[in-house]
Amino acid sequence: MNRRHFLKSTAALTALSGSAFAQSGKEIAIGAIYPMSGASAQIGVDARHAFDTAVEIVNGSYDIPLIAAKNPGIASLGNAKIRVIMADHQGDPQMGRSEAERMITQDKVAAIVGAFHSSVSATASVTCERYATPYLAADSSSPSLHRRGLKFFFRPSAHDEMFSKAMFDFLDAQKAAGKTIATVGIFYEDTIFGTDSSNVQRKLAAERGYKVACDVKFKANSPSLTAEAQQIKAADPDVFLPSCYTTDAILLIKTFADLGYKPKNIVAQAAGFSDKATFDAVGDKLEGMISRASFSIDMATKRPSIGKVNDMFKARAGRDLNDNTSRQLMAILILADALNRAGSTDGTKLRDALAATDIPGDQTIMPWKQLKFDAEGQNETADPVLIQYLGGKFVTVFPAEVAIAPAKWPMNG
Amino acid sequence: MTLQTIFQVMASGLLMGLIYALVAVGLSLIFGLMDVVNFAHGEFLMVAMYAMFGLVLLTGLDPILLTPLVAAGMFVFGAFAYLGVVRFAMRARSNKGMVQIFATFGLAVLLQGLAQTLFSPDFRNLPAAWLTGKTLNLGGVFLPWPQLYGCAVSLLAFVGLWLLMTRTDLGKALEATREDRGAVALVGIDANKVFMLGWGLGAALTGLAGAALSAFYYIHPQVGASFALIAYVTVALGGFGSVFGSLAAGIIVGLVEAATTLILPPSLKSIGIYALYLAVVLVRPSGLFGKA
Repeated sequence: MNRRHFLKSTAALTALSGSAFAQSGKEIAIGAIYPMSGASAQIGVDARHAFDTAVEIVNGSYDIPLIAAKNPGIASLGNAKIRVIMADHQGDPQMGRSEAERMITQDKVAAIVGAFHSSVSATASVTCERYATPYLAADSSSPSLHRRGLKFFFRPSAHDEMFSKAMFDFLDAQKAAGKTIATVGIFYEDTIFGTDSSNVQRKLAAERGYKVACDVKFKANSPSLTAEAQQIKAADPDVFLPSCYTTDAILLIKTFADLGYKPKNIVAQAAGFSDKATFDAVGDKLEGMISRASFSIDMATKRPSIGKVNDMFKARAGRDLNDNTSRQLMAILILADALNRAGSTDGTKLRDALAATDIPGDQTIMPWKQLKFDAEGQNETADPVLIQYLGGKFVTVFPAEVAIAPAKWPMNG
Repeated sequence: MTLQTIFQVMASGLLMGLIYALVAVGLSLIFGLMDVVNFAHGEFLMVAMYAMFGLVLLTGLDPILLTPLVAAGMFVFGAFAYLGVVRFAMRARSNKGMVQIFATFGLAVLLQGLAQTLFSPDFRNLPAAWLTGKTLNLGGVFLPWPQLYGCAVSLLAFVGLWLLMTRTDLGKALEATREDRGAVALVGIDANKVFMLGWGLGAALTGLAGAALSAFYYIHPQVGASFALIAYVTVALGGFGSVFGSLAAGIIVGLVEAATTLILPPSLKSIGIYALYLAVVLVRPSGLFGKA
C-alpha cells in the first residue's frame, strides 16, 4: 500500500465511522455564538464553561430541583445526548450572522444560543428566523430585540427596560425612605446596548422627575476617557448610571481616580460592571457600587439548586457563576426541556414547544417568578434584582422580597 | 463649561499625545528605514506590556526600574521579528508591498493568538507600585503621576533617539541606508544588519511605550488595536520616517482629540483627528514633516 492508498482508505474509514457514530450516538447539536477572541474574549471563555456544565447536567442524572436535570439525556428522543458547538463572532454583527448560517446549514444545529453583544443577537436571530431555527438570546438585553415580530426569537431573562425600571424603582424607594436623589448621570457606549439602555434611562428619568445632569455617549474601546470622566465629574450627579463593557469600565474607574473623583452613587447596567476582570482591576474603587443583575449567588436559600450548579461550574471555570454565565447555562437547560416536550429536533416543532414553556421559577437557578414567553418571545416575569458590591462580594439588595440585606446608600456614606 | 474643565481636558490630551508619539515613532522609524509598514505594531506594544506584567510578577520590582529591561527585551524581539519574518518577506520578487503587508499582518494575528492562548483573554493590571494612584493637583487640574512618568519616558526617548541619529555611527548608518540601500553596500555597510538593528530599535521604542502604558492601562491581547490605529494616523500626519514629525504629530493628535470632546459629544472625538489628517494629506501628502 503506498502513501496515497493509505491516505485514501483512512479517509474513507474516518468518514464511515463518523457517520455511524452520529447514527448510534443520537447527539443533538446546539449552536452557541459568543466572542471567543477580541476585546470580550473572556466572555466566550466563561460561556464555554457554562455550556459544558449545562451539557453535563442535561446528559447526566442529577437529583436537584432544576429542569432537565433528572433524566439522563432527552427522554422523548430515546435519551439522546446533547452537545454544544461554539462559534466565535468577535463582537462583529456580520460575523455573527454568517456563523449562525454556517452552524444551521453545516452543523445542523437544532437551535442557537447567543450572543452577549446585543448587536450580534440582532443579526444572528434574523438568520435563524429565515431558516426556521429557534434563537435563544441568553444574555443580550437590548429591549428592541424582541420587538421585531420574529417568530423564532426567545429571551428567557429580562431586557434593559425591565432592568432600568428596577433601577428607578429602587431610586424611588430610596427617595421614599428620605434620601435625597435629584439628578442622574447617564454614560453609555455607542453600540445598540449602550444607546438602547440610555434611551430607556432618559425616558424613565423624565417620567419620574429626575434631572439628567449629564448625558455622555462615548466611543467603545477608546484609549482615553479623561474628557468623558471630566464631564461627569463636573456634573457630579447624585446617581451615576453607566452602560458599558469591561474595557471601558476599567478605564473609566481608573480615570475617575486619576481625576480625584468618586461618584456619589453608581447604579450600573451590568455588562462591564458585572465582569470579574473589572473587580480584579479596580474593585477597591467600586465598594458600594450597585449593579442590576439577572442572577444572584446569595439566593441559594430561595433557589436550592444554585449551590450544586455553582459547584459544578466552579470546578471547571475556577470562578463563581455570574450574571452572564448563569443565563448562558440556563438557556441550554431551557432548550433541553423544550426538546423533550417537542420530541423532535425539527425547528418549527421546537419553536412551538418553546412558545408553550411554562416553568415555575424555583425550577431554575434564576430569581425569575416564572418562565413563560409572551407572543414576542420575551419572558415578562423574569424579575431582575439589584446587587451591591460590599466587602469584596455581591449582596442582593433589591427588590425587598428577595433582598438579603438593605442597600448601603449613599455608597460612600 | 468651566476654565478648569478646559485646562484639565487639554492637559490630559497633551499627556496622552506624548504617549501616542512614543507609540508611533517606532513605526515611523522602521518605515523610514526600509519602506515597510509594520502591521504588527500594536501587537509589539501588547508584547511589551505583557513583558512588563511578567517581569513585575516575577521580580516584584517597581515598573520604573524594569522599563529599561523591557526595552532591551523588545530590542531583541524586534531584531528576531526582522530575521525570522520580514527578511524573507523583503525577498519577494513580485508584489513586494503586498507580501510585506501580509507577512507583518500574519505576525500580528500570530502574536494575538499566542497571547490569548498563553495568558488567557483576561484583563490584567500591574499590581500597585510606587506611582500607582498618585496624582499631581495643579489648582484643580489633576495630572496622574503614572501618566507624567509616561511623558518623561517619551521625552527622554526622543532626546535619546535624536542624539543617536545625529551623533553616532549607527545613526549615520541608519540614515545612509535609508537614503540609498545599494550605495551603502559599496562602503562596507551590511544593509541586512542595519535593518535588523532598525527593527530592534523600533521595537525597543515601542517597548518603552508599552512599559510606560502598562503603569496606568489594562493589559489584554487586543490592547494594541486601539493604539495602533492612532499610531498609523500619527505617522502619516507627521510624515513617514520623520522622528520629529512623530513627536509633533503625536502631540497634535492628543490635543485635537481632547479639543474635539470640548465641542462635540465624546463619541465623535476621533472626527477631529481624522478631519485634520485628511486636510494635511490633501495639502501635503508626505505629511507635516515628511520629505516629499
